[in-house]
Amino acid sequence: MIRFDDVSFHYGGENGTGEGVDHIDLTIKDGEVVVLCGGSGCGKTTITRLINGLAPQFYPGEMEGCVWVNDTCVTKAELSETSRVVGSVFQNPKSQFFNIDTTSELVFGCENQGMSREDMQERLQKTEKEMKLETLMGRNIFELSGGEKQQIACGSVYTTAPSVFVLDEPSSNLDRKAIHRLHDTLKKIKSEGKTIVISEHRLYYLMDIADRFLYLEDGILKQSYTSEELAALSDEELSDIGLRLTDLSRLKRKQSNEDCRANEPAIEAVDLACIKGGNQILDIERLSLPRRSVIAVIGDNGSGKSTLSEALCGIGICDGSIGFDGVYLSPKERSQKSFMVMQDVNRQLFSDSVMEEVMLNASVTREEAERILNQLGLKETAERHPSSLSGGQKQRVAIASALCAGKEIIFYDEPTSGLDRGGMERFGRLLSDMRESVTSVIVTHDPELILTCCTHVLHIENGRMLAFYPLSDEGLVRVKSYFMSENDDNTSKTRKEYGVFGRVLKYAGEWKRYIFLAMAFLIAGAIFGVIPYLGIYDLLCKLLSGQAVTLNSAAVDIGIVLGFGILNALANTWGLQYSHRGAYHTLENIRISLQEKLDRQPVGNIHELGVGAIKKLFNEDVESVEVMLAHVIPEGFSNVFVGAAVLLVLIAVDWQMALFSLVILLFGFGASRQMYTVGMDRMGTYFASSKRLNNTIIEYVSGMEVVRIFNRDHQSEERFEESVRNYRDFGLDWYKVCWPWMALYGSLFANMTLYSLPLGALLVLLGHIQITRYILALCLSFALGPLLVHTLALIGTLPRVNYKIQSIEKALDRPPLKCGEEAFKGKDHSVEFDHVRFSYKGDEVLKGISFTAKEGEMTALVGPSGSGKSTMAKLMAHYYDTDSGTIRIGGQDISRMSLDNLGREVAYVSQDLFLFNKSIMENIRIGKPEASDEEVKEAARKAGCHEFIEELEKGYETLAGRAGNKLSGGQKQRIAFARVLLKDAPIIVLDEATAFMDPENEKKMNDAIEEITRNKTVIVIAHKLSSIAKADKIIVLDKGKIVSRGKHGQLIESSREYRKLWNATKESDRWSLKGGRINGTYGA
Amino acid sequence: MNLTFYGGQERGLINLDPRTKFLIFLASGILTLSSYSDTGVAVYSLFLCVVIALCGKPLTAIKSALPLGVVLYLRAVLPLSKGAPSLIVLLITALSTVFMFGFPMVMSLLLIVKTTRISQFLSAFQAMHLPVKVIIPIAVFFRFLPTVADEWNGVRKAMAFRGIRLSPVQIICHPWKTIEYVLIPMLFSSIAVMEELAASTMARGMDVDIRRSSYDRIKLGVADYCLILIIIGMMIGVMILGHMVKGGIAI
Repeated sequence: MIRFDDVSFHYGGENGTGEGVDHIDLTIKDGEVVVLCGGSGCGKTTITRLINGLAPQFYPGEMEGCVWVNDTCVTKAELSETSRVVGSVFQNPKSQFFNIDTTSELVFGCENQGMSREDMQERLQKTEKEMKLETLMGRNIFELSGGEKQQIACGSVYTTAPSVFVLDEPSSNLDRKAIHRLHDTLKKIKSEGKTIVISEHRLYYLMDIADRFLYLEDGILKQSYTSEELAALSDEELSDIGLRLTDLSRLKRKQSNEDCRANEPAIEAVDLACIKGGNQILDIERLSLPRRSVIAVIGDNGSGKSTLSEALCGIGICDGSIGFDGVYLSPKERSQKSFMVMQDVNRQLFSDSVMEEVMLNASVTREEAERILNQLGLKETAERHPSSLSGGQKQRVAIASALCAGKEIIFYDEPTSGLDRGGMERFGRLLSDMRESVTSVIVTHDPELILTCCTHVLHIENGRMLAFYPLSDEGLVRVKSYFMSENDDNTSKTRKEYGVFGRVLKYAGEWKRYIFLAMAFLIAGAIFGVIPYLGIYDLLCKLLSGQAVTLNSAAVDIGIVLGFGILNALANTWGLQYSHRGAYHTLENIRISLQEKLDRQPVGNIHELGVGAIKKLFNEDVESVEVMLAHVIPEGFSNVFVGAAVLLVLIAVDWQMALFSLVILLFGFGASRQMYTVGMDRMGTYFASSKRLNNTIIEYVSGMEVVRIFNRDHQSEERFEESVRNYRDFGLDWYKVCWPWMALYGSLFANMTLYSLPLGALLVLLGHIQITRYILALCLSFALGPLLVHTLALIGTLPRVNYKIQSIEKALDRPPLKCGEEAFKGKDHSVEFDHVRFSYKGDEVLKGISFTAKEGEMTALVGPSGSGKSTMAKLMAHYYDTDSGTIRIGGQDISRMSLDNLGREVAYVSQDLFLFNKSIMENIRIGKPEASDEEVKEAARKAGCHEFIEELEKGYETLAGRAGNKLSGGQKQRIAFARVLLKDAPIIVLDEATAFMDPENEKKMNDAIEEITRNKTVIVIAHKLSSIAKADKIIVLDKGKIVSRGKHGQLIESSREYRKLWNATKESDRWSLKGGRINGTYGA
Repeated sequence: MNLTFYGGQERGLINLDPRTKFLIFLASGILTLSSYSDTGVAVYSLFLCVVIALCGKPLTAIKSALPLGVVLYLRAVLPLSKGAPSLIVLLITALSTVFMFGFPMVMSLLLIVKTTRISQFLSAFQAMHLPVKVIIPIAVFFRFLPTVADEWNGVRKAMAFRGIRLSPVQIICHPWKTIEYVLIPMLFSSIAVMEELAASTMARGMDVDIRRSSYDRIKLGVADYCLILIIIGMMIGVMILGHMVKGGIAI
């Protein structure tokens, strides 16, 4: 129990966010959950501090009365005593950790209590499990996102298991999933009978947990609400007392559709890619943000929102081209034209008065600056020190400084974390007011802010742009569905850091040994390659010293030269053999791992990548790794190693020659480095253009047929030519900046002797060195040159290889299909869609679809093209995951089943028919591999394809690939249908099964459908309504929504959309009647 | 675990007690100050590299050992090279001497910060029966280093937007202004962090007169005892040897 006896507290120093609290009388019972709410500075935080004893023990001040927790007066007891019963979570996740690694942090409180190691272990395990912290264990706190840090903070309190939990604005930095988890955690803690006191601005997630909401104003306890009472308050009433929304579904838009129109772009980016610690954080092909808008960047913690905004405004490192107002700018230019208001605004205030602060490097006059300050409500503070201001004021000072510097694009990183409703609304109004002159980009988790001022929403997921849409009425629904979705998976991945080499080597597995072996052999080889020069040196020495060189005396030297020459060849051969063996086995591993990843991907992702890109990935990109493994790593390493050794020997021979060689080497390395930097700048565009060329070729070839028939104006050829030209230009561009440097270092390294020869001669003439040493030095430079040229050639391939490897890793790292391992255990075979939403390439195709298709019934989906019918069929076959909502078969979520098990239940005939290049017999048998020939033929007969198959040259043994050209669309469709008949699955999904058929066959087909679909769940998608008029249930779709449902008779009466479709069908039927055929339909 | 600093040593072949690491640090100081022979320092430095490699940081060890090797080689070879002007030889010798004798100190410091978690510091200090009043400031100092680095990163980004460049020209022309621009935001934001950190730490039961336990096992193992013996042996050896050399000079 917590008891306040007439407690007053006022801060003594400059501590705290508010003035303090007065005459608080309060009793909180055991197991109660109490939320403290009210505007900023109302005293919420002070009350939490009074409970955990920090006030007055850490924050000194005037204290009256006493706060009791159980039987302890916490305002007087030692803090370490209090901490045993009261656990605290604070607002700022970055400053509440004592340790650097998460595991130590989780047990920190327990250690302070002197708990035994076994207890700690047990509790740690419990916390890890209950709080879903598995992916966050043993990580560096500094690399976690804000939300992840807060999870750890909650976890570490949970581990000490106190009887009272005190949380001070715990949700400030959390994303929706983390808030959802926090909610679940609090619920769990509550269910364990603990007392919870939370000071919080966001109220909606606490509505079903809290027993009481205490409203404070100016340090006085004004009002106590139950959650029902609070929920009953209207939005206006809440606004009056400065409280945030209690229910997200009541979110309303404040801006009009007019605000959300598309303007010309303010920010454009092409081929953005950002790599941190060997992980690609960002991968955005094209992005364009309109001018005069307020753009909200949403997405879960760690999805790359902050990285994106840093990249755009020029302080983050990334590849790709970014432009403002249609002009491409370098990062430095971008940082001059934009501004970012950081989450921790303290870092951005440099001067000792507000006025000086905004005038720092400003482009406006003092009067202008005063006007801007006035606008932002900072007039009175102009002469104050920035650090004496409140958080919200500091934020506005930073904005003022950006405006004074004439910035036109301002980024905000979580600007409203910890702001009350008033502050949030004021901030929103400010952004709306500035919209004419400034484009604002806000990274935020705050739906209320988004709906107060934003005009567009940019949704980032896993480093990719998921969607960009205006906040129109439709946009509102999407934003709401994002923030209200109940998904609470932990998205944070454990990131491993790898360099280029490490990344490749991790695939090598057991073959790594071979690569190291190769390295050893090649080092030996390079050393053997140097030794003959020493032999030559010895020989020359003998000559020069005037000895008579006989064959006998020279034999040893010649032997050395020959012997080591042979050894060199042998070692290199062995080395390269090992390196290639290692390399090709690694390639095998990479391809297998790619294939495994590909298998787990939603079909949609694979289509999106395209056959060409996937082929290139498996073939060329993987192949390029071979260079790395077989050559760069072993040869490059050994060359560098031996080169350095030779240089060291050279120093011993003669320091002057060595110094000289070193200078030349430095020049050479300088040149190659220069080439590398200028080359890298253009590398991104070069690769991007090669990617585009690749795509254009594929498009060109696959569209050839259409082009030849229709496209007379050579548009397609022009596009193709343009890509080719672009590729050539970018390639040439790259070489143009690189070749002078290449030539320079090439000549420097290859001809090192050329430079050291005259110098050495001079030194000899001056008598500084002996001629023998001179010769040795020359020999060594002879040896050094080739090594270096070779090394640099290898180093030159590194960026290319690195790029390829990254594209390999990135291509298939999209979230895999959510698949469980469960077998089918539904109670029947009815199919149920429950609020299913799905978007494809940023467009929402299904907008909350709910219906049930019952067993033994035929359910038809009708609607105009693009209404989402086929998408629904694909979702049923689990080609994709839904964005939200679930699809169930007999009550079982299909994402819990394995694809195999699902496949056994659902037979799906799609519009795109594919026949394998096998015999037609085998093609039908795919439906049921153990079926006998007779069964196959029976199925073919039922599907109405027996006759035409028999007529083929070899009947059922005709290869479908070769016959493919002879088969008509309708025939292929019937073969596909035969497959389904053979499979005999309890759920049948037919997507336009009769699309390509002539009326006669269509009738047969429809009979067949009726024949096999008894006692099954059948879902039919059709354009021609005549074929489904008899269906038990017809669902009419339009633009991703269900507009009406019922039987044919009812719909023709009640549904305008259905009538329209029906009339259109009848129209086309009449056409076929004119053709002299009798159309068999059900409905008429 | 991928921590650059304050990582554990799970991947190491041996798991050293922080106290042993402190002893190594102490010994490095004493040895480098009382030893006059290249060979001695070189052997000791290589020994340190081996210890770091064994503690799970082989890359750090190799990266440090390579320059050491080069410096040793240069010191050995330079006097042999004929005709080198004595000034250059002197300069190189002086620089390499600083390197040689600073090397063990740096290495043992690296050993401490790279392989010890903050919580291990605390436990080790406690096991050494140091008063908590001494322990907390030291631990906080270690804890604060990465925070300062983090703040510095943030401030530098903020400076980019304000057109404040940290170019050498700027630093030389306006040294005070530059310091101000760096220090003011750093200080204010660090102070804020510091205060909240202290509040949070105290609210979680860290206090001067508590008896803490430790999740990490802090216990001297066989490896520790071996190392301690080796180091003490070395110290005694070098003390006597160093003394003799000094004596020799005196005579």
